[in-house]
Amino acid sequence: MKKTVDVSIPLGPVHPCWKEPVRLKCETAGERVLRTEVELGYMKKGIERIMRGRPWQEVMFLAERVCGICSVIHNMVFIEAMEEISDIAVPPRAAYLRVVANELDRIASHILANFSYCYTIEHETLAMYLLNTRETVLDNLERLTGSRINTAYMIPGGVRFDLLPEDAAAMLADLSKVEEEMQRHTRIFETGPLIALRSKGIGVMNHEEAIRSHTVGPTARASGVVCDLRLRHPTYRELGFTQVTRTEGDNFARVMVRFQEVFQSIDLIRKCIETLPDGPVRGGGFCKAGETSYAGEAPRGELTYSIKTDDYGRVVDIAIRTPSIMNIEACVHAMIPDATSIADVTATFISSDPCVACNER
Amino acid sequence: MTGYLYEKDLRQMKYTILASTRHDETVRAIARHLGITEAKLRRTMLRRFDMSLLENLESRWEMGQEHADNGDPVAEELGYELFTRFVPLVDTEVMQTIYNETKAMIQEGSATGEALERGKERVREAVLS
Amino acid sequence: MRNILQKIKNAVRSRSIHVSYVDVGSCNGCDIEVLACLAPRYDIEQYGIYVHNNPREADVLLVIGSVTPQWVDKLRDIWEKIPEPKVAVAIGNCPISGCVYNRRGTLTTPPVENYIPIAASVPGCPPRPTEILSAILSVAPLIFKDYEENQK
Repeated sequence: MKKTVDVSIPLGPVHPCWKEPVRLKCETAGERVLRTEVELGYMKKGIERIMRGRPWQEVMFLAERVCGICSVIHNMVFIEAMEEISDIAVPPRAAYLRVVANELDRIASHILANFSYCYTIEHETLAMYLLNTRETVLDNLERLTGSRINTAYMIPGGVRFDLLPEDAAAMLADLSKVEEEMQRHTRIFETGPLIALRSKGIGVMNHEEAIRSHTVGPTARASGVVCDLRLRHPTYRELGFTQVTRTEGDNFARVMVRFQEVFQSIDLIRKCIETLPDGPVRGGGFCKAGETSYAGEAPRGELTYSIKTDDYGRVVDIAIRTPSIMNIEACVHAMIPDATSIADVTATFISSDPCVACNER
Repeated sequence: MTGYLYEKDLRQMKYTILASTRHDETVRAIARHLGITEAKLRRTMLRRFDMSLLENLESRWEMGQEHADNGDPVAEELGYELFTRFVPLVDTEVMQTIYNETKAMIQEGSATGEALERGKERVREAVLS
Repeated sequence: MRNILQKIKNAVRSRSIHVSYVDVGSCNGCDIEVLACLAPRYDIEQYGIYVHNNPREADVLLVIGSVTPQWVDKLRDIWEKIPEPKVAVAIGNCPISGCVYNRRGTLTTPPVENYIPIAASVPGCPPRPTEILSAILSVAPLIFKDYEENQK
């Protein structure tokens, strides 16, 4: 008797490893996973439908509530799209401060992703170390923007608050502490024999598969794809940004890419604060009618806002494409089937840094 | 037997995904490419695709336009890789049969246009089946 | 005799609170603030609170987010799986009013109170980890103290 599918194992929606509800249905033969299906709808709030017909002042706050983990980049991409529509120029000091806020958010997000991974493979010590380091980063985000999560820091034509010199000094001191701690954590992760056993060669996604499902962000960069929109952003180009790439494409590579990007972000913030130009942080301007599609690099990858506005600055139509859509899809349909056993499904899924709130909006 | 625990009819939620602006454009583009009506294509998609594939439809289609079937005119016309690997509407074996038979028809000497037309008709049938 | 048993139960319960959280459609912001409570800085475990995601052994259920279509029928199921005594705490503005999602065109159906009984709520978008911590610490003893005697 030939049997292809033994059991269909459902994981979720409430699962100890998952921070957000999502349901995976894995069809297995023995320990091997043959096919995986995703059931979503647990986080579908219909935010694009709410945004339609509202003035940009409201959409700005809605945009950062698409995702709480990477709220700064949602704010930034929406505002820069509005600026592109309305031809508003940003003062150089504000442009640099935007990079500082964005990179702080990226560090916090990457550390949280790596925390989730360590927690999933039950290395709780390293996970708690990482979570503690993240608090220091969030303190600095709060020092700059006044809030920990939903900051609403950027507005068309600038940013809300200036960075005071004493705050900048405190931030630099904190960052060197974070860097020191992260070096230690990276060493623990890189050289730990059990972590390597649990991570290396598991959930491999090759270059071709990464391209087929349009993978973006650290997930794609771990498979050797060149895709970092910061390479095209004018402020980042001034700062001399280069991309981190690894070629293994397994869980270990994805986590290591995030660790390496944390150091890169720390360097970028340092460079920003040292070369911070003088001048105002708020320009001015009017939001006009127009239509554009603007993309920026979120912690998880490429984030695109397609916006159409009318003469009063109201958003007539909006479509958001978040990075998690591509990454979760690639993870579920390329990484998990055939390569891994059922025991590795949770770790592989978490290693692609899934953000279900982004994915469904 | 009682019903499945937790299993729910997902069609309404799947339709909500397809109804957003960019996805609607993509569905229209695919329907135009295949030459079938949008409603029929939507129904097929709701049946065949899981929810994350539906969410990712637009970027997969975009990448398919760019990377699929480069170089082979017959495969490009039929959408060989496009409809099996990028937007998996057709099973690989079915598509392989259609592709082989179309190739054979062209080699036997029938008009290229006619053979491709027959092939596309069969792809259409495979999508709707 | 029963009194002594109750006293022992009170003493044990005050230092052992198992927390489960369920996200019923938020922006993730409150989610990661609950996670931040785990960090050594706030050190949720020094109060005897243990966060894991298993409703079957939980005492406190943290509800985050406004209710999305998939959760309409499932939230009640999760609530019923938690053994007595139990308490639900709403974290953030979403379970209370729907926050920014309660507008025209939305797919959510807040508030959570329509589905399960809520004992306490922590407003904020998102609330700080310390606020979440103090809410759990102040509401749990109220419900759990002398639970068996109050049932009589």
